[in-house]
Parts: sequence; C-alpha cells; structure tokens
Amino acid sequence: MKKPDLNELGNLAAYFERLADQAAQRGCYGLQDANLVLAEAVRVLQSDNPASNNLFPLVGEWFDLVEKFTQAPKQTASEMTTYLRRPELNIPMEDEEFAMLGEQLLNDANAAALSPNEASDITVARTTPSIAEQHITDEQVAYIEQLANQAAAEGLYGLQDVNLLLAETLRELSGDAIVDSGLISALSGWHDLLVDYRKEPRVKAEALINFLRHPGLKIPMGDDEFAMLQEQLTTEAEANVTAQEQVVDIQAVESIPEGDPSSDKNSLSGVSRIAQELVDLLLMQIGQIRDYLQSITIGNNESLLDSLQEVGDDLERFSNMAKTAGFGGLSQVATHVTGNVQSFQASIEGFTTERLDLLLDWTGQVQEYLPSFNDSDAGQLILVGLTDEQWPMPLPFEEMVAILQQIRAESSVVGEDPVLTRMEKATDEDISLVLPGDVNQELLEILLQELPIQTQQFSEAVQRLHAGGSEQDVQLAQRVAHTLKGSANTVGIKGIAVLTHQLEDILLACANEQKLPNRALANSLINAADCLESMSESLLGVSPPPSDAKVILQEILDWANLIDKVGLPERDDETTSPVAQERGVTESEETDSPSQLQATMIRVTSEQIEELFRFSGESIILNSQASDSMRRMKKQMHAMKVQFSLLQELGAELEQLIDLKDLTGRSFGVVDTNFDVLEMDQYNELHTASRRMAEAAIDARELSLDVTKELDRVSEILESQQRMVVDTQEVVMQTRLVAISTIAPRLQRSIRQTCRMTGKQSELTVKGDTIMIDGDVLNALVDPMMHILRNAVDHGIESPDERRAHGKPPVGQIAFEFDREGNNILVRCRDDGKGLDYEAIRAAAESRGLLQSGQDVTDEELKSLIMRPNFSSRTVSTQTSGRGVGMDVVRAQILNMGGTLNLHSVQGQGMTIELRVPLPLSMTYALLTYVGHYRVAVANKGINQIVYSKEGEVILEGNKETLLLEGVIYPVARLIDLLHIADHRKIPRPYDAILLVQNENQTTAVLLDAIFDSLEVVIKGLGRYLGKVPGYIGATILGDGTVTPVVDIPELLRAPVRVLTGDYVAPVEMADPTLNLPTVLVVDDSLSQRRALEQLLADAGYRVRSARDGIEATDILAHFKPDVVLTDLEMPRMNGIELTAHIRSHANTSSLPVIMVTSRTTQKHKKMAEDAGVNAYITKPVREEDLLTEMENLMAQQTGNVQAQNIAQLS
Amino acid sequence: MREDKLIADNSLNAVIFPSTAIGSANPEVKVEPVFGIRVGSVGLLVSADRFCEVLDKMQVNPIPNLHPWISGLLNLRGNLVPIYDLKLVLRETGENNKRFLFAIDKGEKAIALWIDNYPEIKDKLVMKPIRQLPKLPDIFQRFVIGGYEHSGQVWLDVKFEDLFKTLGRHQYTSEGMAI
Repeated sequence: MKKPDLNELGNLAAYFERLADQAAQRGCYGLQDANLVLAEAVRVLQSDNPASNNLFPLVGEWFDLVEKFTQAPKQTASEMTTYLRRPELNIPMEDEEFAMLGEQLLNDANAAALSPNEASDITVARTTPSIAEQHITDEQVAYIEQLANQAAAEGLYGLQDVNLLLAETLRELSGDAIVDSGLISALSGWHDLLVDYRKEPRVKAEALINFLRHPGLKIPMGDDEFAMLQEQLTTEAEANVTAQEQVVDIQAVESIPEGDPSSDKNSLSGVSRIAQELVDLLLMQIGQIRDYLQSITIGNNESLLDSLQEVGDDLERFSNMAKTAGFGGLSQVATHVTGNVQSFQASIEGFTTERLDLLLDWTGQVQEYLPSFNDSDAGQLILVGLTDEQWPMPLPFEEMVAILQQIRAESSVVGEDPVLTRMEKATDEDISLVLPGDVNQELLEILLQELPIQTQQFSEAVQRLHAGGSEQDVQLAQRVAHTLKGSANTVGIKGIAVLTHQLEDILLACANEQKLPNRALANSLINAADCLESMSESLLGVSPPPSDAKVILQEILDWANLIDKVGLPERDDETTSPVAQERGVTESEETDSPSQLQATMIRVTSEQIEELFRFSGESIILNSQASDSMRRMKKQMHAMKVQFSLLQELGAELEQLIDLKDLTGRSFGVVDTNFDVLEMDQYNELHTASRRMAEAAIDARELSLDVTKELDRVSEILESQQRMVVDTQEVVMQTRLVAISTIAPRLQRSIRQTCRMTGKQSELTVKGDTIMIDGDVLNALVDPMMHILRNAVDHGIESPDERRAHGKPPVGQIAFEFDREGNNILVRCRDDGKGLDYEAIRAAAESRGLLQSGQDVTDEELKSLIMRPNFSSRTVSTQTSGRGVGMDVVRAQILNMGGTLNLHSVQGQGMTIELRVPLPLSMTYALLTYVGHYRVAVANKGINQIVYSKEGEVILEGNKETLLLEGVIYPVARLIDLLHIADHRKIPRPYDAILLVQNENQTTAVLLDAIFDSLEVVIKGLGRYLGKVPGYIGATILGDGTVTPVVDIPELLRAPVRVLTGDYVAPVEMADPTLNLPTVLVVDDSLSQRRALEQLLADAGYRVRSARDGIEATDILAHFKPDVVLTDLEMPRMNGIELTAHIRSHANTSSLPVIMVTSRTTQKHKKMAEDAGVNAYITKPVREEDLLTEMENLMAQQTGNVQAQNIAQLS
Repeated sequence: MREDKLIADNSLNAVIFPSTAIGSANPEVKVEPVFGIRVGSVGLLVSADRFCEVLDKMQVNPIPNLHPWISGLLNLRGNLVPIYDLKLVLRETGENNKRFLFAIDKGEKAIALWIDNYPEIKDKLVMKPIRQLPKLPDIFQRFVIGGYEHSGQVWLDVKFEDLFKTLGRHQYTSEGMAI
C-alpha cells in the first residue's frame, strides 16, 4: 500500500482549525473546542484511510450545523454534540467529556457571545473566507478545488469538472482588484447549489450550469459545451443516487454498535470477507507493479524496453487475476493500459517521464479504486485519466462508458459466492438425517464409526469453552466440526453437514478474532453439540432423531448471521441467545414423526458375528450328534421291542407247556389228591413263575413302548431345535449380506473416468443389482469387475467415429448383469464393442513366439491366449490399458475365489465376459462316501443325478473311459483319481454309484465306491493355516465327532490339481498386478474422506497409500515415494501446509507434486498453500474429473521434468 | 534349577500351566519360563505365555491331497485344528512307540503338532545362547530365530505361526491329472 497522502487531510483539518480560531476570536470557546476536536478526528480518520469518501458528506453536515448554531445556538448545541458522538468519527472522548463540551456550547449561547454578525462571519469564513474584501482569494479557489477533489473521489466527474472549471476561472479572476459583486454574492450560494445538486442531481444540474454561465465568470465555452457538461452531470445522476443509497446502507451497518467488524478501518465496509481478500490480493499486485514503475529510470532505452516488457507482463497477469477475481471492468482497463505499454515499447523514444507518470498515476488510481470498489461509481477513478491525450491510445469515450457500466454492474457482486451465502431460515430438509438412495455403505459405516467419537470430542471441547476454555478448544471444536462437515457431505447426510457447516463458521470467526465465545454463544454451541450427539445416536439407531434439531439449527444460524453482520459478541456480554425466547415455544410444537423413527440398531464387531456363526454351527453339529444318538437309540429300542415280544411269546409258550404237562398228570408238586385234575386247577411254583414271567414280558414291552414314545418326543424336540439353530445360522449369515447395488456407483464412476481418459463414449447399465450376496465375496469381486470394465471401454468400445462408420450409435453400451445360479453368483459383462480381434491376437502370439507362423489354431485357442500373463494384442499402450490389468490377472483372481471366467466374443459385435463365483456355504446337503481309506462328504453342488452303477455302462476307449447311460455318452472321472488317492488294490475298483455332475457346459459321470449316508452338514473353513484348498469347500464335523472334508466335485473337474508332495516348494507368488500402477499418497485426518479418496483413486487405477496426518505421511515418505501427494489442509499434529513445507525441504521429495484438497475456498488459504509449495489447490466437494485431470497433468509435468533433467545430465 | 515333567493323566487332555516350581521365592530373581518340546532330535521352545495343552485320545482325521506333513484335522472343542508332523519337515527318521499331540493356542489360532515326549518346563534365562544354529532344512531354518544349549540339548526358538502358515500353504500342480 502506498503511504497515505496527507495533503488532503491537512486542508480539511486546517479548515476546522481555522473555524476554531475564528470561534475563539469571538469568544465561542465551546465552538472552538468542538472544531478542534473535529479537526483532530478528521486527521486521524484520513490518516487511517486516505481514500475515505465518507468524510465529505460529514463535513458538509458540520458546516450546516455551525451555520445553524449561529442562528439558534441553544437548539443546535445538543445536535452538535450528537454529531460529534457519531461512531464513524471515532472521537476518543468519554460521555462526560461530550457532556462538558455540550455545556460549553450552551455557555456560548447563554453568554450571547455570538452576535448574529459575528456568527455570519464565521459562516462566511467556511465558504468564502475573505469575501468582504471583494476579491477572489487563493483560499476560495483552493476550497472549490477541494470540492472538485471531493467530487472526483466520489466518482462525480461531471461535478469535478464543473468545480475545476469554476476554480480555474476564479483563479484567473483572483488577481483582479475588483470583482463583480453579484458574482461574489452568487459564489456564496455555490455550496448550496452543490448540496441541492447532490439531493436532486437531475433537476439541479441545470442550476450549476447556469451558475457557470454567470457573465462575471466569462467562461469561454459555447452553448453546446455547456450542454455536454450538463449532460454529464445528468448522466451521473442515477449513479449518484445509487451511491447515496450505498452510503445510507453503509451508515446503517456502521450504526450498529459495538463489535462491528466493519468498523475495522482496514477492511471494506459492506463487502464479504472473500471480496476483501480479493481486493487485498489485487492491491498487493498493483502495489508491486507501482513499485516497479517507480524504480524505472528514463535514459537507457534498452533497459527501458526490458522494464516496459516486465510491466506489460505484470499488467497482463494483473488483468487475468482481476478477471478471475470478478473485476471484469478493471481487467479490461488493465488490458487497455497493457496495450498502451506495448505502444510505449514500439516507440520507446517517446516514453518520457510524463508518460511514466501516466502509468504511475493510473496504478495509484487503481489503488484508490480497489478499496472502494463497491461504490458503484468508484470505477471512474481508474478511467478518468485514460482519456488523456498523453496516452498513445487514449480510451475512447464509448468504451469508457461501457467499461464503467460493467464496473457498476460488478461492484455489487464481486466476492459474492452463492455457495457461501448464508441461509437464514432452517428448514426440515436442513435437519434431515435421511440417507441418500445411493449411499455408499462403506463410507456410511466409516462415518458411523467416526461420528460418536467426533461428536463427543466436539461436545467436550464446547463444554470446556462454556466453563472458560481456551483458544485450543476453539480450534479443536472447529477442526472437528470441519471434519464432520466433510464426512457428512461425502456420505450425504444433510442434517449433520448443514449444522456443522454453520458451527465451523462460528468457531472459525472465534479463532480468527482470537475471541472465546461468550456464555450465550457457548450455550448455543452446547445445544448444538447435544443435537449432533442425538443425530449420531439416531443414525446408529439408538434413538429417534432429535426433536429440537430445527430449533437448534435456527439458533446457530441466527448466531452465524449475527456474527456476519456485527461480529462476535464480547466475551463477558451476557447477551441472551437470539432465539432463547423462541425455543420453548417451538420445542413444544415439535413432534416425533413416526416415519422418521428408525429400527433400533446396534454395532458389533465382525469377530463377534463370526463367533456367533461358529456357535450356531456348533449347535447344529451337537444337534446332529444328539439326533444320531437318537436314531441309534430308536433302533435299539426297536430291537428291544422285538426281544420283549419274543420273550412274551416264549413266556406264553412256556405257560402252555406247563399246562400241558399238568394235564398229562405229571405234576410238579402234589397239593391235594382228592380232586381230579379236571375238577380243580392245581398250580404249583412253576405255574406261578411262568405266569409272572409272561406278565413281566408284557410289562417290559409296555415300558419299551412308553420309552419309544418318549424317544419320539425327544426326537421331535431335537428336530425343532435343529430347525431353530439352522434359522439362527441363516439370520447370522444374513448380517453378512450386502446388496450388489452398493457398488453400482463405483462402477458408474469407473466408466466415466475411463471414457474421459480414452475419449470414448459409453453408458453402463446394471441389472440384477438388488441381489444380496456375501459382503466378502462382493468386495473380492469389485477389483476384477473394475478391470473388466476398464478393459471393455479401452479395448472393446470403439471411438464414436469408428462406431458411426460401423453403423453403431456413437455411445457404446456396456451392461453388468448379476444373477444367482444355484450357490454361485453369475456376473456377465456385455459390451457392444468390436469384440476380440483374432487376427491381432494371432499376430501378437506369433511375434511372441507363442505360435508358429501359419499354425492352425481355433478361435477358442486364440481366446485362451489372452489369459496368458502380460499378453496384449495392443501395439500401443494407452494410459488406460497401461494402467489396466490383463485378463490373466482377472482370471487368476476369479479362480482364487473358486470361480470361473468365460469369454464369448463376436467380432465387430461385442464381447461378453462371464464370471461365476461360488458363494460361501454354511450348510449343504452331502453324500458320505469312502474314497480309499478316507471318509469324505461330497457336497451336492453341481450334482444333477445319482444313478446306480448297474444303470449305465462304462466303456473304455483307449485310455479314456466313457459312460453310456440312456443313450447319452458322458466323460468319466473317478473320485479317487480326482483326489489323487493311491489305490493299492489289485482287482479292478468297484463302483457302486455314479454322480452326473454339471461343470460349466459339460456333464461328467463321477464314479464312487459307495454312498453310505446322505445328510445335511455344516461347513466349516479349514482354518487360518490351511486356507483355501482346491477341491474342498471346507470340512464338517459329523455326528460322531469325526472331521470330514467336504468335496467340491465341479471344482475338482474344472481345475484338477495335485498337491506337490515332495519337499516344500516356495510358492510362486503371482506378481502384484498393481505394482506398475502410478502411486498416490492420500493424507486426510477424516477416515471417511480418506476412504472416499482411496476408493476414487483405486477405481481410477492408482495404487493408493494413506496417512492420517502430516506426521504419518512423513513417516511413509521416508521409505515410499509416491507419484503424487494429496493432502488435506487442516489436520492434527502436522497440517497440510507443514507437510508440503516438509516435502519441499527434502531433496528426494522436493519436486514431488502436491495437491491440496480442502474445503477452504478463500484466496487467503490458497495463497498460503501456494507459498508453501502446493502445486494445485482443489476445493471440496471434489469434482472427480478435475482432481484426476490435475493429477495426470502434474505427473506428466513431473515426467517431463525428470526427462529433461536426465537429458541435461547426459549432455 | 530342576526340571519338571508334566505327568498327564492319559485319560484326560492336560492343559499345561507354567510350573510354579520354576518361579523363585525371591521375586527379584527373574525367570522366563518356556515349554521345551522334542520332535525327533530337535528341541523346540514355546513361550509359557501361550496356551498349550497335551491332547490324548483325540481322533486324527486325515484329509486327502494335502501335504504329507499335515496329518489331518482335529475336532478340538468345535474348532478344526490342523496337525503338523514336523518330523517329516525336519526329515527325522527315528521311530517312537508313542507320540503325543501338543496343541498351541486355542480357538481358531490353535495348531497341533506331534511331539515325542511330554513338554518340559524350562527357564530360558539360564539357557546358553548358541551362535551357530544346527543345519536344518531350508523351510524350517527360515523360521528359527534363535538357539540355546541346555543339558546337552539344543533348543530352538521358532516363529511358529509363520512356520505353520507357510507349511499350510499348498502348492499344486496340474501334472498327471486324471482327466
């Protein structure tokens, strides 16, 4: 900024001092004091803000008051003190002092020290200081020149011209001894004319012109020239009115009492903080240009040319900057001046000191213009000098008018950011916790994890502020609010985003002004913290949404708006909350909306779910064991029943035999011989024993029937229990299910990015995405699906022109279809691109030596070639394909999941890639069989039919066996061979059962020794040490407690493998396909923001590492150098600026591209980032394409720099 | 210093707790109790901080087409626990009449291995570190992080978890497929 020019102030203050002297000479000491006080105040004000225009109307008012004081001092004394108390004058006096001054003024009046004549003298003295002498004095001329300057400062150039014309004329007349007394008299009314003109410019313009036509003045101008001047005065009329309105507006703001930030003398009143920053930035630039101009010396044409070139370049940059900042008019003017500078260069001889002064004057005018840009006529400042003929290309009048209009139009919108316009009224939508339809589940999960912790942190910080607190608490609360805002915006929870946005602004204002919130504000912050916690709980399903959210948001909004207008309240101000009274009323009106109530949810760790799942599996196994026992017991009971029946029969038989024996007379004992055996039954012990035995046998049988009934009942209970545990397990399994639609946005994003990078056009449709599948499987599928999608766009879809040439619509169609197929998830990716180019594949294979030239191969064989590692038919690698991963890797990923990958391609019409991936099984129906001496459970997966061996005929054709069954020939495999179990039997192996197993498009007959049981089994993984073993789904624990592997026959048929049984062979690790990808380090303290960026960049084909703050990032950078760093600005421990400084200060990272991704939108932050060495500054919410483009550009630049360095080193 | 041998009831699986006998009455005397187990001629040390148990009368369930050094799976309280036969890895040829199953850790982290004797409880601090480890098969050697000598026996400190994970990783070939 240039040093303040004190000349103008001196004049104005001197006038007040002279008035004070005159008042003192007449004994008006009150008036003297008042004028002296005012002189001092004006001096201070103008030294603080030399360009201030607000003083001139104020001064005018004072003159009126002084005049009035001379007429009615008693009535005016109090008005004068009121005037002196005006805040814009900022007179540093206490109330008592003002009161004393008022008394002095009254004393002046009471003492009648001021006679009307004397008063008149004083009054005349301010307009025409020695007019009684009938001469025009220099002082009078100076005063009118002062008025001209005042008009110019206000942008009233017509008025300036009029005053200057008058001053010039008067100066010529000032030497004359005798001046027309009528002129002198008229001159005393000049001031009033001006005042009238200001009030009604359109009407009174003519009066000014008429004054100039006064014959005593003898102004040598024709009627048309006067008419033009009048026209100019009238043209200014509208602007002048607007200017007055603005003055009123500003005064309205200024009249706000304490704590008004606009009272800051260094800031613009009535403009936004952003506009202030833009102005500061432009002022800095123009200041530098001006400094440079001042350093230019005329004389050496060569250096002068260089200097002008520099000035021209700087002006061009300034013009661009002004344009970017929204100062389009200033930009145009700067461009015009740049053109003039170029003209100066073209004829350097003519560049004189006067012309250098032109440039200096203009830069000075820009410096004056910028602080008052919001004055609609301030633009005239930077235009007025440009019509000067000294310029090689003076600004044409029409152009000047057009630019002026533009500047006027811009004056009210510069720095306005619609996004930043603060809302005033909270709506239901602003507090909504409804999740967006396409919410990213992963990010939501992370937010839900972060939310309780961060809301608690916020609450604690605010509580501390309420109890006193410190600036650290303000900063912490602001940072947490900032993080929450970002996370909520990322996920799409408006209620939290809006509230935290307002909270952040309030806390930021506290931080900037280093002022702690007063109690009322702290109370509101606590309410907001509680509301945030309630919102967090509601999202977690613990409680309904807070009923007072809208009231609290309104309270916070009121604070934020109040702070915008008048700044922060004083610390000890016990102001009540702006909505404290309203709250109670509104609270009672709030009711819970049933639709807003959410199902109660709890969060548990995945380990707990796994345990639950394991326990439910164990319960099923125990139940199976009990059921097995029960089956055995029932069998035993059945056997017992048979035995008891036998016993009963034997008893009956024995009884019969004994009876017969008795009839034969061979009694076992003699009881009474007087009776014939027919006369009386005679029983002995044998009878009794046999009868008792028969009865016991009957009883035992009865008992066994009872036990059987009881066993049946227990059996039913066990069955019910089993159903229940199976249901339990299914419910637990469902907790792991995720809808496929949750990844649809990522797929859409990926296709957009790939299209952008390849310049192709394609649309993605996703079908069947409502299917729920295991979350782990879905996660594992995302990567191969992304690769397939990128490859489809890059390799499959043709360019729009090519497609048109082939009669296809320019936009390619890619479809992802999901379907359940038994226990598999089937994923099809269809595109309508060009399909596989078999000729290109053949050529590539021949060039790599995979095929002999002219070798006869089928399309199927050629197709299989693209599954080979690093095989590419492309001769030129594009950025996408270079970043893409080959089909071999995709296939390996799918196989690793136990799935299959098939390609179907029609040249010119498109390709379909089919993925079939098994879903995890918790239970399966299985056949128990022995294979060699191993007992295995064969899962029913893929088994279409079980037939007995006798139903088909195994035919041996050469080495190959086939099965002829009902006229169909099936290839044959033996399970013992598939499992590579040694068979030492010498006789041909028998087979009792044949399984017809469907594998992909083929049905194979699998021969088994025997099936001895079939049952439902619970599948358990083989544990952390064995992991996935090909051919096995897992293992199961049978009812007898033994462990049996569960065999997956389709997998064995698809990829028959034999374990290497020799010495341990170090596994051949598949090269990490991501190793060649460009790398990026993401640094952000918000987990959800970090994860969102990680996901975006990974989907875009970057290898991503992340850090939580600058410290962690520096640790990573110590041993890992990414291609680019993305960092947030505000982070704990080490922020983004410090991190960038760290990166720049280390030799091996000094040139590392750094992109700052932040929600801070102001130039101030941007400037700070640029100063620290940030290469690009991107504001949140991030436009993906902007970010990716920026990253690519920076990496390309970096590559170019490195190549250039290498070349330089070589040369 | 005296050595303790855990006498296990053959009818029960025995959980091993670090013996109090190894501790000193004087709390200032530091001890670092470890279990010493023997696989053939090789002695291995297992930190006494880990849950260990000797298993008896457990049914070993063999699984086809796994590495030969994986004897099968155990059903240990509902967890499937792989059983490793380190003798095959160490190429130890000596025969034992009776071997014991020794389980380290519990739950899904549990593994079991065959050992030749009941574990001995020792104090690692009184063992003498050795500079030169005996020559062992590469796959095993990679996971040996130290060796000690005590009572004429070399005891090896091994990263068991990494060793068992590596031994559990299967390498397959499609050579010699049936179809």
